[in-house]
Amino acid sequence: MDLTPMDDFERELRVAFARRLAPPNLKRKIVGRRWQQASRSHRRMIWLERIAASLILATVAGGSAFWHHELEERRAEEARQQVMTALRIAGQALEQVNTQLTDNDRDEQ
Amino acid sequence: MAGDWQPDFGELIDEHQSMVFSLALRMTGDYGLAEEIAQDVFLELDRHLRKIESPLHALCWLRRVAMSRSADALRRRRVRGINQWVEIDETHGARAEDRPSPLADRLERLLATLPEPQRAALVLRYQEDLTPEEIAALLGSPLATIKSHLQRGLKLLRTKAGIHLKEYVRGA
Repeated sequence: MDLTPMDDFERELRVAFARRLAPPNLKRKIVGRRWQQASRSHRRMIWLERIAASLILATVAGGSAFWHHELEERRAEEARQQVMTALRIAGQALEQVNTQLTDNDRDEQ
Repeated sequence: MAGDWQPDFGELIDEHQSMVFSLALRMTGDYGLAEEIAQDVFLELDRHLRKIESPLHALCWLRRVAMSRSADALRRRRVRGINQWVEIDETHGARAEDRPSPLADRLERLLATLPEPQRAALVLRYQEDLTPEEIAALLGSPLATIKSHLQRGLKLLRTKAGIHLKEYVRGA
């Protein structure tokens, strides 16, 4: 297809299809919507910052509570171990006494 | 140097709003929808402004996105079952001095009756004065397809104009 040179009809088309003027308030509307979007995005950013801060606080508080709990558990375990050691020592002492008593009884017989 | 160019959003609107609006209007035939498409196109440009390297890049980008958004709008309209131009006066909201001449108006109405690919090719050819090669590059279609759309669209438009616009068109 050879589009050049243009004939009369094509020249008419070029004139008829010249660019039309945009609506007079188009730019104002675009700038307005742009501002609205920027404002929405700013608000969204503020909310995201708040959520992030809340998550950090919750993590710190949770971590602290967990650490306290772990500390208590460790102390309780240490105390339990101490009691067990004391009981073991007492058990050994009783065993010794029992052995001595048994030996004495045997000597008396 | 392309990298030195600092795009000014306001200036780009001033410079290209008429082109973007006219493409959308001639593709959709709806004044209100064309205005909405033009707004969307410029807001998208704003989001991509950092990627725009030169005034020519901005022009080509706006043409491509305006055609693409118009096609999307027509597709949405077809899905909704509205497969025709707005029958009421589509220039509602337009100032009297902005309205086209009676011949331009009738040619636009005839253009609206053409299939969408032919309409797109003719609008880019006669409104934007692009060559078939440039149209093919812009629409991402093979050159032969674009030439075929132009040829068939022009023939169809010429025939219709010959029937309906005898009093206006000399070469029809």
